[in-house]
Amino acid sequence: MQLVANIIVLSAIYALISCGYVLIYRVSRVLNLAHGELMMVGAYLLLMTASFTSNPMVAIPVAAILSLTMGALVYLLLMRRMTGESVLAAILTTIALGILLRGLIVIFFSAAHQYPAVPLGIHSSSVQVLPGARISSLSLILVIVTALVYASLFAFLRLSRWGLRMRAAGQNPLLAAQRGINLHGIYAMVWAIAMFTGSVAGMLISLDAGLDQTLIMIGLKAFPAALVGGLDSLLGALIGSLIVAAAEVLLIQYVNPLLADVVPFLILIVMLVVRPWGLFGTREALDRV
Amino acid sequence: MISRTIALAAAAGLLGTAAGAQDAYRIGLSGALTGPVAGSYAPAIEGLQLYINRLNEGGGIDGHPVELIVLDDSGEPSRGATNSRRLLGQEEVVLMINASLSSTYAPMMADARRAGVPLLFAASACPAEVYPPAEPLLFCTTAFAARYDSQATLDFIEAQAGTDISLGLSAMAIPLSRGEIEAAEGLATERGMRPQAPTIVPPPTADYTPFATTISQAGADWVYSWAPWVTEVRTFEALRRLGWEGEYIAWAHLEAEGELARLQDEGFYAIGANSLFAEDLPVHQEIRAAAEAAGATYAPDQMAEGWIAGLVIDAALQSAGWPADAEAVNAAMENLNVDTQGLRGGPIEWTPENHFRATQYYRVYRWNADEGAIDVVQDWAAYTVE
Amino acid sequence: MSDLSPMRVVTALVAIAALIALPFLASGATLDIANQILLATIGAIALMLLTGFAGQISLGHAGLLAAGAFTAGILAQEIAAPFWIGIPAAALTGALLGVIFGLPSLRLRGIYLAVSTLALHFLVVYVGGEYETRRGFSTGILIDPPVVFGFEFWDPVAWYPVLLVVAVLVWLLARNLLRSRTGRAWAAIHDTEPVAAALGINVARTKLWAFVISSAITAMAGALFAYYRGFVSIEAFSLFVTIQYVAMIIIGGMGSLLGAVLGAAFVTILPHAIEAASGVLPSSGGLAGSIFAMNYAAFGLIMIAFLVFEPGGLVGILRRIGGKRGTR
Repeated sequence: MQLVANIIVLSAIYALISCGYVLIYRVSRVLNLAHGELMMVGAYLLLMTASFTSNPMVAIPVAAILSLTMGALVYLLLMRRMTGESVLAAILTTIALGILLRGLIVIFFSAAHQYPAVPLGIHSSSVQVLPGARISSLSLILVIVTALVYASLFAFLRLSRWGLRMRAAGQNPLLAAQRGINLHGIYAMVWAIAMFTGSVAGMLISLDAGLDQTLIMIGLKAFPAALVGGLDSLLGALIGSLIVAAAEVLLIQYVNPLLADVVPFLILIVMLVVRPWGLFGTREALDRV
Repeated sequence: MISRTIALAAAAGLLGTAAGAQDAYRIGLSGALTGPVAGSYAPAIEGLQLYINRLNEGGGIDGHPVELIVLDDSGEPSRGATNSRRLLGQEEVVLMINASLSSTYAPMMADARRAGVPLLFAASACPAEVYPPAEPLLFCTTAFAARYDSQATLDFIEAQAGTDISLGLSAMAIPLSRGEIEAAEGLATERGMRPQAPTIVPPPTADYTPFATTISQAGADWVYSWAPWVTEVRTFEALRRLGWEGEYIAWAHLEAEGELARLQDEGFYAIGANSLFAEDLPVHQEIRAAAEAAGATYAPDQMAEGWIAGLVIDAALQSAGWPADAEAVNAAMENLNVDTQGLRGGPIEWTPENHFRATQYYRVYRWNADEGAIDVVQDWAAYTVE
Repeated sequence: MSDLSPMRVVTALVAIAALIALPFLASGATLDIANQILLATIGAIALMLLTGFAGQISLGHAGLLAAGAFTAGILAQEIAAPFWIGIPAAALTGALLGVIFGLPSLRLRGIYLAVSTLALHFLVVYVGGEYETRRGFSTGILIDPPVVFGFEFWDPVAWYPVLLVVAVLVWLLARNLLRSRTGRAWAAIHDTEPVAAALGINVARTKLWAFVISSAITAMAGALFAYYRGFVSIEAFSLFVTIQYVAMIIIGGMGSLLGAVLGAAFVTILPHAIEAASGVLPSSGGLAGSIFAMNYAAFGLIMIAFLVFEPGGLVGILRRIGGKRGTR
């Protein structure tokens, strides 16, 4: 039972992070390797708002809105200029952005390990969720938030007018532009949403575990999950996270914890050999690159 | 604060051009000031800089200032290697200091040996080369040290709970930590304890619960962790959230003092070689005052390692006299006895055979919920280093 | 512009003279940076062949460097093999790994190919880490410097001519390859695979060749790095190293050997240049932490500026200058 709970929590973490990779890739065909850094910035935004108010009901939403704005700014100020450049150049730009952000974070917040939960007065307690299975209360919140985020993303993409435009832009940008869809607006929105979901993940993780630069590496660990599912499918990201998390937890328990780092990538290789476009990805995605 | 720093820098610059180049002791440091692990090393580096600045403000050593050249290696071995070549080849330092991840040791050690310049490890685990019989040129002031730490920890566990216990072991997936915990497994078996197979956690881990689950389900009464602080403390927190009620002992890294107060858990023990700032000894007040005056980035209670390195460097340069070349500094370091002013349980003594210290002292701390303060559970226990 | 315009000959002669004069003028630390540039040049040319010419994206570059370094390190440690065994053995390991790294390319393209090579990077690092821990080299494997006729290669001054010659040889090899049948086949698959296949090019074999050659050179560079630095450890081959090499070929200019050289020099020098430019060395006086964080951020900022404002890379700038001269 505890194992089941562990798998669900870990896959929720991976899923909440990896939807950011998927959203941006799906709509704008850019692989955002600064997602880990953006997620960390989101968590530091919370640390910042927490220094002004000790009320989590204020600090968290304000930080979330700031991260939404920052995501849009990243597109409008930087990534917009990379449209039309090669795929590799766009990826490298996101990496360079990541390096810049890491440096800025040390300048403004120092490299010390810090706890945004302390000024907010949040204590993580232990919750019995299933018979014989306990998880921390923050993990429980994280699972719920992940479910909410995915549900609203599905609803948004299927039902709303903006969601429809987003899908159109992802499938055929040229045609979408001809039909009068404002591509830059769409892309800015998707960067904002991606940074928002990533930041929420970063905030929840750092409330539980504290905050320093290692958060970036956790962001990167969720990347294989997005790929296993297929980089351009949200459902795929969800299932991919579940597969990767299950493999990781079971290996830690029954085989060798050291394999935890390698295994997501092994799964990935197997997946790439069998279905190169991922579990739920679309075939044509391959030739776009 | 900024204007003060600029004034100091300008003063240093003037000294540097006018007299400093000939009249200063030149020493150089390569450390992790940026990068993911910087939080564990940058405070110690800042502590050392504060000590050296204060020394220079007081007139230096017999009128000669100490010029400390600080280079960043981000914890990457290749950059450590570049830095050491630069410190040796261009800056011509008489002493090199390493304050970075253990992966930077190999290249800096190789270069120091070649150039015949002493190398001091001042913020990360002491390498085996400094134990007797010590290799020439390599010295270490850092509190934590392979083998002795596990010996002292197991002695403490045995004193508390006897040997009829199941012992969980936790390490980070870096060679140094794994090696030590695997050695502890052997030591525990020799004592008749029942150690579990070590649980080795990869450095970037989103959730420690799966690792804690294996430890908890194997029925550990005590858990021992010797790893970077994140792994130690997060494994513990994950164990508690699983409802595990055993006792946990971990190495007291520089974060320990703040963290014991944050966790407030009486089952969490921290074993270490440094005294805590809560004691408020004169030396602690000195460090606090220096940190405050300089507007330091990090908390003073994380600076002890750097300050201790400063005390030792001060003593070594003094004993080497003026003018000092690398050879003279090395000779001075081979016969040194430095009073740690209460930051440690005793002095740091070096001999030609022993570049670690003649006696290593350990203390064990934990949180006392009734008093709302940190308790010394076991006062200085001395271990002769042979 | 013909191949042998006087302008080019003069530039080349000046460059050659500067390269030869360098060890007599520069300090040990400057030569150390020069040596790093030469090592990076070898690796960057290898990656340029694969990505810039054959069009195969790889994120396994650090893994291949590690494989070469570890081959040399393990051989030196286990059977005390001298460098003239270690370096060819590393190249051979690289070639074998090249086949493995290249296999996914037969089915995958673009980002998915990049990620599969990334997976192999993690495998190499895992194996290397296991070796280090099992054998008790917890802080890395030390390698003695190569000795030739009693002369020990340790000093940057001694290494400089060696690395210079190797880099030039690799450059000549790459240039000749590109002018051969193989090079033309690479160009063909770079543009469009179906057309290449229709032209009678064996696409699978051509791709594998690109991986094998690139990987062998890369692994050799890794082994040279190991001998030059005197140590091997997994931490020296993090993902950041791969990123640096990718940055080199993009900043230098895709599809140009000169671009690989310029990119290698630029990315290697940049951190040192920023450090020098940020003014006084952080010696006693100020506290160093934030200065280095600023340098780190500046590195990212300059890279961004480059990518945004100069998509053609350094070669693009050179061509523009050359073009202006031509019209004058």
